[in-house]
Amino acid sequence: MTAAAHAQDHAHHDDHAHHPTGIKRWLFTTNHKDIGTLYLWFSFTMFLMGGVMALLIRAELFQPGLQFVNPEFFNSLTTVHGLVMVFGAIMPAWVGFANWLIPMQIGAADMAFPRMNNWSFYLVVPAAILLVASFFVPGGAAASGWTLYPPLIIQQGISIDMTILAVHILGASSIMGSINIITTILNLRAPGMTLMKMPLFVWTWLITAYLLIAVMPVLAGAVTMLLTDRHFGTSFFNAAGGGDPTMFMHIFWFFGHPEVYIMILPAFGVVSAIIPAFARKPLFGYASMVYATASIAILSFIVWGHHMFTVGMPAAGNLFFMYATMLIAVPTGVKIFNWIATMWKGSMTFETPMLFSIGFLCLFTIGGFSGLVLAITPVDITLHNTYYVVAHFHYVLVSGALFAIFAGVYFWLPKWTGNMYSETLGKAHFWLSVIGFNIAFFPQHFLGLAGMPRRIPDYALQFAEWNMWSSVGAFIFGFSQLLFLYVVIECIRSGRKSEQLPWEGADTLEWTHLPTPAPYHTFETAPVVK
Amino acid sequence: MIGAFKAVFWSFFGVRRKAEYDDDAKKLTPQAVIAAALVSTAIFVLALYGLVKLVTR
Repeated sequence: MTAAAHAQDHAHHDDHAHHPTGIKRWLFTTNHKDIGTLYLWFSFTMFLMGGVMALLIRAELFQPGLQFVNPEFFNSLTTVHGLVMVFGAIMPAWVGFANWLIPMQIGAADMAFPRMNNWSFYLVVPAAILLVASFFVPGGAAASGWTLYPPLIIQQGISIDMTILAVHILGASSIMGSINIITTILNLRAPGMTLMKMPLFVWTWLITAYLLIAVMPVLAGAVTMLLTDRHFGTSFFNAAGGGDPTMFMHIFWFFGHPEVYIMILPAFGVVSAIIPAFARKPLFGYASMVYATASIAILSFIVWGHHMFTVGMPAAGNLFFMYATMLIAVPTGVKIFNWIATMWKGSMTFETPMLFSIGFLCLFTIGGFSGLVLAITPVDITLHNTYYVVAHFHYVLVSGALFAIFAGVYFWLPKWTGNMYSETLGKAHFWLSVIGFNIAFFPQHFLGLAGMPRRIPDYALQFAEWNMWSSVGAFIFGFSQLLFLYVVIECIRSGRKSEQLPWEGADTLEWTHLPTPAPYHTFETAPVVK
Repeated sequence: MIGAFKAVFWSFFGVRRKAEYDDDAKKLTPQAVIAAALVSTAIFVLALYGLVKLVTR
């Protein structure tokens, strides 16, 4: 059956696609597309909240001295900014993409457990409320940094308990989401869609889901021990009672490092869909990409110690984690070279999704290189807890994960909404973001190398100039995200109608076998993949 | 089983020749690959640890 005939067939089916309307549609929905939409709007809302916190931080750091906030509140801002961006913005955004795309890309009618899917989403809402509401309780929000290190975390007020509960709920939601994704991918693929024919996005999410199931219970265990240390007289992390605060760091980072890959692997999947589409060439080294993703996932479990080179591990421990960390550069390099090889001699065009993907490629590589610098133990001992580290992980998570999210939104907006976004405004969003981001974060390398510590509201005068630049860049980057909101809303409400296949190089099932926009119910009859 | 170990070794490096990968896709079962991956990871960790011991001796 041709793509057009398929499209017609589905349009016909869609006439009968009844579903509740109004608030009931969104509250009781079990439809993967609705739930994907809920996740994406939720994550954008949290992104704006985390962004406001970031701008308060940068406003305070615009000049030396204390201007706007007191030090305790500043510490809460850095802590909750991190938690909100990691657990409230990036992770739910990827789950939103997974919901929208995985069933359509493997030819399934929906996720394997639609009701659990609904429950997974509605768990993240109270968790987010707990996190944000903790600002308004006596003692203020958690101020220990997003890593929740004891003993600081043991000493604060009820906001810590709210944060621990929020982390528990988010973990439960993530585990349910992962079970759903793994079951969907392994059991609901269309006939002929073998594992090695799956789009890279599906592969990266399959591996991400396994990572989540492996590490979320570890985090839950760590925060439960914190809770019992706080309220039930245990001393897991209390040296006075025979415990060890360093043990928390080991447990936390055993979760924390794979968590970094949980946020970045789906980004690899999205970029692996977009670059071939706009280079009009198949992805170079598909099998290598799958193998490299698996390799990165395995290595991510044996490198956690590089986050704690300064705690006094034996030299052998430091060396082990240094070697293991540097080895991650091999499969990551394979990916970078594969993307470049995909573009090589391609008929490239530079629409907004491609611009964000190329931005991702260039800037994520910078983040990767600064990661290699930090992997060298003696260098890290000098740079630990400086702004160099802040610059490094923002290059990985903002220009890495977030830019890939933007790229993905622009790429699939026509499929989701049936309308095209404004290419002019999309490009303006890209350039403002990339310029603002680099002005904000590149100088932070210099600040870190010069010795400016992170998580402080005040600093010595010699750091003033680059901090001023960093704040200017942060405000450009922050406010340009309002343009993104405008572009998306304009696209939904009044964008010009999209063609059936707006990107001529796109060749996955959602583009070739479904009409644009995708109807409410898709693939009620599974397609046959050749 | 040797085929599974070979595939896992190449996955550690992150590269695989197309013909061999096609062969993997036909012959290997997921159980064999997972078992080989777990054993290979343990060997990899021990090898790294051995190297560290050698350096710090």
